[in-house]
Amino acid sequence: MGKAKAQLPKRKSDLTFFQKVKRSRVLLLMCLPAVIFFLAFSYAPMPGIWVAFVKYNYRDGIFGSQFIGLDNFKFLATSGKLFSLTKNTILYNLAFIILGNFLAVFVAILLNEMRSKWFKKVSQTIMFLPYFISQVLVGILVFNLLNYDTGFVNGILTSLGMERWEPYSDPSVWPPILIIVYLWQQTGYNSVVYFAAIMGIDGEMMEAAKVDGANGFQRIRYIILPSLKPTIVILLLFALGGIVKGNFGLFYNIVGTNPMLFGTTDIIETYVYRATINDFNFSTASAVGLYQSLIGFIIVMTVNFIVKKIEPDYSLF
Amino acid sequence: MKKKVLALLLSTTMIAGLVGCGGKSDAGTGTNDNAASNAPADNSSASSNASTDNASGTDASAIDTSEHVVITYMTTGETPTGTKERYDEMMTELNKILTEKCNAELQTYFISWTDYLSNYNLTLAQMDGTVDLVGTASDWLDAWPNSKNGAFLELTEDMLKTYAPQTWASVPAENWELCKYNGDIYLIPEDNYAQWTNHGFIYRLDWAKAAGLSDGVKSWEDLTTYFKYVKETYPDIIPWDSDGTQYAQMAGGWIASHSDYVPIDGINSAAMWGGTRDDLYTVYSPFVTDTDSLVEFAKMMKEWNDIGVWQTDVLNNTSSTNRDDYRVGKVAAEQHHTQTWTDLVSHTPANTIYADDPNAETGFFYFGQETGNVTALSITHGAMAVSAGSKNPERALMVYDLLRNDPECYKLFCYGLEGVSYEITDDGLRTTPASYNQDTDNINGTTNYWWGRNDDLEIKDASRDWDKIDALYSEYDKVKIEYPYGQFVADVDNIRSQISNINEINTNYMKQIAFGKYNGSAEDIVAEYQAALKAAGIDEVTAELQRQFDALYK
Repeated sequence: MGKAKAQLPKRKSDLTFFQKVKRSRVLLLMCLPAVIFFLAFSYAPMPGIWVAFVKYNYRDGIFGSQFIGLDNFKFLATSGKLFSLTKNTILYNLAFIILGNFLAVFVAILLNEMRSKWFKKVSQTIMFLPYFISQVLVGILVFNLLNYDTGFVNGILTSLGMERWEPYSDPSVWPPILIIVYLWQQTGYNSVVYFAAIMGIDGEMMEAAKVDGANGFQRIRYIILPSLKPTIVILLLFALGGIVKGNFGLFYNIVGTNPMLFGTTDIIETYVYRATINDFNFSTASAVGLYQSLIGFIIVMTVNFIVKKIEPDYSLF
Repeated sequence: MKKKVLALLLSTTMIAGLVGCGGKSDAGTGTNDNAASNAPADNSSASSNASTDNASGTDASAIDTSEHVVITYMTTGETPTGTKERYDEMMTELNKILTEKCNAELQTYFISWTDYLSNYNLTLAQMDGTVDLVGTASDWLDAWPNSKNGAFLELTEDMLKTYAPQTWASVPAENWELCKYNGDIYLIPEDNYAQWTNHGFIYRLDWAKAAGLSDGVKSWEDLTTYFKYVKETYPDIIPWDSDGTQYAQMAGGWIASHSDYVPIDGINSAAMWGGTRDDLYTVYSPFVTDTDSLVEFAKMMKEWNDIGVWQTDVLNNTSSTNRDDYRVGKVAAEQHHTQTWTDLVSHTPANTIYADDPNAETGFFYFGQETGNVTALSITHGAMAVSAGSKNPERALMVYDLLRNDPECYKLFCYGLEGVSYEITDDGLRTTPASYNQDTDNINGTTNYWWGRNDDLEIKDASRDWDKIDALYSEYDKVKIEYPYGQFVADVDNIRSQISNINEINTNYMKQIAFGKYNGSAEDIVAEYQAALKAAGIDEVTAELQRQFDALYK
């Protein structure tokens, strides 16, 4: 009788904590590296946030230094630029997120539709390559393409008898340039996730659609895109968390410290870097980081809340 | 349900991590506190006690050097690659002497020039004994901010008397006064070394004469004439292939040449506050008051930009090799200080312009020449400090005392091995041996010992054109004033955010003004610049500095 009882699968809620752990031990073990990673690099340094509220002094350390409340945040507020910086940062990131994801989905579908395996691999590799180029090199590439005196573009323009183009004095051309550079670098990488998601779509559905006479576009419209929706939503949610964190490497290496272009290219990171590089102030820098994380946190919570209302399955948590 | 278990597990480990971490850091600060209170002088209230303790504990006869220690010296400069072999040989010799005299050996920690200030400060912030002796400077290496941050050890008189007696005796009391912050000595000044680091334009004197300037360039207007002439006569030459970082020196130079402004070092890199030669202790900022002069500056720089003095994309140009281009005749001017001119004016092998063109001559237009507005260098333009994280501060001071005052150590460390890296001529000058190769044998440019040079031991470089250099130095001596603000260490804690924002505004606008890269009229851009400075609180900063000045000088 005892034997029969043991064989009955117990309801999970009846299990004690240790039984649950035992039952899921393999899964838990698989989580372990990620858990350790986040503990070591995200949670362990967290008390360090305190540095944003003190007048940091090497000898007394983070927790021994004098507490000065919100004084370190004053610098951002008094710059009078907080609004325009936040705006630039958010608008660029919106463009990156929306165009980036759109293009990545598009490319993933194209890759999926390719019949020649050889061509598929080659084009995927070529698109992936820019991702590995250091931002510093990208900055130099762009400068050599666009600079006034010796740039490649101006070389072509003058040999065609046209006027020279002076992008490094014209702030209005930089948003498109930066977005193009970003897409060129990131699309190959981003499309991999979507491509994998497409690969995971049940083959039977595709077969059935084919048998029912759906053409390529219809299969994309009614099967692939709806199946990608959860992936898209989740990736968007993740990306939104970083919407006030600018891509310092991209902006700093391409725009550099040319003040003529700052109107359209200055983001929080580059501003803070320039303003604090001279006085080496850990506290101010941390204060800015905290400000960005807080806004990111609020945005993620809000968006997640909205998504949960509309479509609970797609929310992050 | 698995999700719940996971969540629970995650949160418990998280809490455990937080608690563990918090505990650890508490412990860390605890020991830090102890360390701080054990240090010779923790703060002003404790300093009297601590120093008396120290006095009783340290007696000249009782220096214990039984333990062999390694002292690390931090300097800006590149880790030797080409000169590594000679450097190692020199260090072996030097360490033999140091071991014999104070049972210590020296090694060097190089801070590479790329982002040197950040890396310098980061290394100091480690406070783990990575470095012992720290080369520093009040005007270009954050000596005072680091003293305030607790990165440097307070050097009590007894320590200095005991462990660096020769240095202590050679530096006059009034100079020690200039190395104090809150009553404690933090820096050992390089106060016995004649050098001038006031900036100006180095230019081709022969070309200036051909341009009709028979006496050479004497003013900014002459420079305009000179650049115009160069551009027309030598179309292949970029008159001055500047990078975008020169704006602050140019603006400061213009103001020096058009007023009696004497800037205070070390408040911000553009030195935007100061007094005048007649009225040194009334703080003002010429960047706000001298509107007409700035408008004129903006107009002239626009003219230079139109002439084509620099490349069109100068603001994005970060990799200029202008100085080396000057040596070989590819450019016609270099903006830098007098020390650099003493190199470029001399017929050294590297300066090939003189071999290529027997008529070539190099002149120097120094900022302030029109008005005779020249201020001598602060004695803490080069200084040595001891890291507060040093495990052997006493021995570090002993090593420094030898490097600065012992002829044998000094020559080894500054010039390298005699007969290999340098030779002494019959008239007592320093020259290079026949076998000398600049790329592999140059020790002087490897150790970068700029923190305790000593004219009593210096051997003049024979390759320098001393007639011209001495002539300029004596011209300076006629008009100069001593740096008046040596004792002033600004307390910027209350005005830090204003200064950060002012730095940013100044960089943005001054770059455009100083390279003539603005749209609209000169009047408009200057007005916009000054309005932005006012909005960022420049008047508050001036008032606060005045308050601190009054407290110190009145």
